[in-house]
Amino acid sequence: MWKYEKKLQYPVNIQKKNLKMAKYILTQYGGPAGELAAAWQYLDQRYIMPDEKGKALLTDIGTEELAHVEMISAMLYQLMKDATPQELEAAGLGSQYAQFGMDLFPSDSFGNPFSMTYIKVAGDYIADLESDMAAEKRARATYEHLMDLTDDPDILAPLSFLRQREIVHYQRFKELRDYYLEKYKNQKNS
Amino acid sequence: MKNFINYQNKFNNSNEYGNFVQNYSNLENYNMNNNVANSNMNMNLQKELYEPYQGFIRGNMFPNLYNQYKITRPYEVEPMNEQAELLTYIDALTFATHDLNLYLDNYPNDQQMIQKFNEYRMQANKAIEQYENAYGPIFVNSNANSVTPWAWDNRPWPWEN
Repeated sequence: MWKYEKKLQYPVNIQKKNLKMAKYILTQYGGPAGELAAAWQYLDQRYIMPDEKGKALLTDIGTEELAHVEMISAMLYQLMKDATPQELEAAGLGSQYAQFGMDLFPSDSFGNPFSMTYIKVAGDYIADLESDMAAEKRARATYEHLMDLTDDPDILAPLSFLRQREIVHYQRFKELRDYYLEKYKNQKNS
Repeated sequence: MKNFINYQNKFNNSNEYGNFVQNYSNLENYNMNNNVANSNMNMNLQKELYEPYQGFIRGNMFPNLYNQYKITRPYEVEPMNEQAELLTYIDALTFATHDLNLYLDNYPNDQQMIQKFNEYRMQANKAIEQYENAYGPIFVNSNANSVTPWAWDNRPWPWEN
């Protein structure tokens, strides 16, 4: 089971409203390389890992991704706080406001709702871990694009933290993938 | 707060790479106790760690994995008051334990890293207890929830600034 920790993994303290950045960052909530997709992908893959290392690593990284969902949500909340409908409309978030008001709703930056089809599971632990490596690389690239689009240190600091986590996660998934390739080399055509 | 201020002075003054990186030179005895992929896993063995705060502001406890983008140096976390300062200390230690946790999932026989994990874990637990006694619960099963009115409802909520 999961328990709530009443704190963020890394603090989010954005002083300046920025609706354009909110629209862009939205994709890391409910987009194809977003945190929600990552969390669910890893947690779904736990069940077929061939040994205890894989079960532990997917549980722990999947859990961390849930904390990243919360960080991204906090960024969106603070970036959009006190925005008027007119300001939202001017930033291209008019449809978002019409449908959801000021509620958060997971979608990509274009407004496409989150889709479970983003989640890549294949019933093959090597294919699954390679999907996870690719997911981390794509998320890292997206965080770099987002960092390119702003110079506000309040926004850059958490984006930079999250980008760095993708690098560490990629490494851990790669180590596990390489370890399984070696450990099960006589049992699998990889 | 005294011991935490000392701690923070320690990590805030350490600008030199060498000052906040800990070396693990005594890893020759490392043994996977595992017949497969032994050499492969040994090659990846971590020999260095950042101090918890330095790892925390980077989002990475491992200097050999660290890779900076756009910004020239990691942002310092600048707490606005004593409560935020203690929370930053907790954030740093819980981050350190978590990043070591992921590493240990892959390298369960790295005894020195397990010791490091436990050192940070105990420091974090102590600080969390101190924080909860002073400012209210981080976890719902905290002693800080034994008061009336119910303390869990109180601010700050993590997403509010």
